[in-house]
Amino acid sequence: MSHIHIDVQNLSFAYEKEEPILKNISFTAKENDSIGIIGANGVGKSTLLKLLVGLNLNFQGSIRVENIPVEKNTLSIIRERIGFVFQDSDNQLFMSNVYEDIAFAPRNYGLSEEEVKIRVENALKLVHINNLKDKKIHKLSGGEKKLASIATIFSMTPDIILMDEPSIALDPKNRRNLINILNEFQHLKIIASHDLDMILDTCNRTILMAKGEIIKDGDTREILTDKVLLEANNLELPLSMQKII
Amino acid sequence: MNKLNKAIYEIQSIEDLSSRDSFINNIHPLIKFILTIIYISLVVSIDKYNIGGVIGMSIYPIFLLIICDIPFKDTFKKLKIVLPFILLIGIFNPFFDNKILFTINDIKISTGVISMITLVIKGILTILVSYLLIATTTIDKICYSMDKMHLPKIFITEVLFIYRYITVLIKEASKIIEAYSLRAPNQKGINYKAWGSLLGQLLLRSIDKAENIYESMSLRGYSGNFYYSYNIKYNKKDYIYFIIWLFLFITMRFLPILQIVGNIFI
Repeated sequence: MSHIHIDVQNLSFAYEKEEPILKNISFTAKENDSIGIIGANGVGKSTLLKLLVGLNLNFQGSIRVENIPVEKNTLSIIRERIGFVFQDSDNQLFMSNVYEDIAFAPRNYGLSEEEVKIRVENALKLVHINNLKDKKIHKLSGGEKKLASIATIFSMTPDIILMDEPSIALDPKNRRNLINILNEFQHLKIIASHDLDMILDTCNRTILMAKGEIIKDGDTREILTDKVLLEANNLELPLSMQKII
Repeated sequence: MNKLNKAIYEIQSIEDLSSRDSFINNIHPLIKFILTIIYISLVVSIDKYNIGGVIGMSIYPIFLLIICDIPFKDTFKKLKIVLPFILLIGIFNPFFDNKILFTINDIKISTGVISMITLVIKGILTILVSYLLIATTTIDKICYSMDKMHLPKIFITEVLFIYRYITVLIKEASKIIEAYSLRAPNQKGINYKAWGSLLGQLLLRSIDKAENIYESMSLRGYSGNFYYSYNIKYNKKDYIYFIIWLFLFITMRFLPILQIVGNIFI
């Protein structure tokens, strides 16, 4: 039986005095799950991901990561195990060059410079961007930035990766590269995206959200081929499915 | 290219200069940092009427400009921006300090004029060496030097982030201005009525950006300390470079070198 990595129970969240963004969300995610979170704009996909890493602790309900509750005093342990890729790569990359940025997390976790170097090289290799190692951040293209920001989390050797719109700004070749990288990652991954074709290619399970609630949680192929369900939630069939169905 | 994009380009060109593999770039950053501080302190301490002493001190930035092959023209273009501020500080000297020192073809030169010129040269030299430090040393290495000097960590982090994110801030401002000008094609500049909302937008975006960056850092284990990859070792050349320049600085500062050289030739 797979070990449960993330356990969310009755999660609700609202910014002060505003309409709730998330309402009574419950799900569990196991070790080798690949979960796609889909839904129209503003349904709370990004917020849900941020809550899983404790970027806001004013939620109701419970979130447990590897059986550790997400609380102020457990954040460092939890964050060491989770890699989070932001929607905007400019938020993720803040050091002078790619090497320094990828080395940022391992250094913070107290690794020796030799170990840091190995981690950085492995991360660069995983994302196929060895050629960008010494490149200045400001000289990277949008796609290169995205791949570099993914490498920054791989250097943490996370047990879980959370990605917020990872295929944004990627050209078709880099997008395919990203899909291959995600498929090679053998741990739990949760991907929030509007790119339903990518979800179809990378996730075995999908959570469909609308108005802050989970509408359906199940097999990706089953959900992404349900035209009526998708259209009722302001989505469309993935492009690859539109020709078939 | 609008002015803001030009500013981004200039910041990036300084970063490119600082990342080159040259003799000065490879000198230990702490040596360059300390020399710059000593240089600035000595230049500032020169007597306000000692114009020869200040000119003598220009040997260091001139040496750096030549040896690092940094374009003179571009450097002085950058200085042009701060020159009015320096002039503003010294402009009143001739009025308040009007003791006549000497005359050239009936033109009376007062001590105020000399002190104004000295002040302007001092200003130019101190800004020039600061610029040359960042043009020959990456910001990470400058921060590493500050860390080695045990400057407060919060100060070092602020320096690092101001430098790093000034580009992001300018980019945000540039986007706002571009969006404005595309919808106001016949308008020159920005109407004053829109200034408030544009600045508000910029402030909100900056706060948002800062928050996102902090989140990204804390998700990767940041707890207030920056760890540097380098533990740069000192070479013999670093010590020699430091001793030679320290000797020259002190000589130039405390001996009337220009006068001595002049006396030899006259």
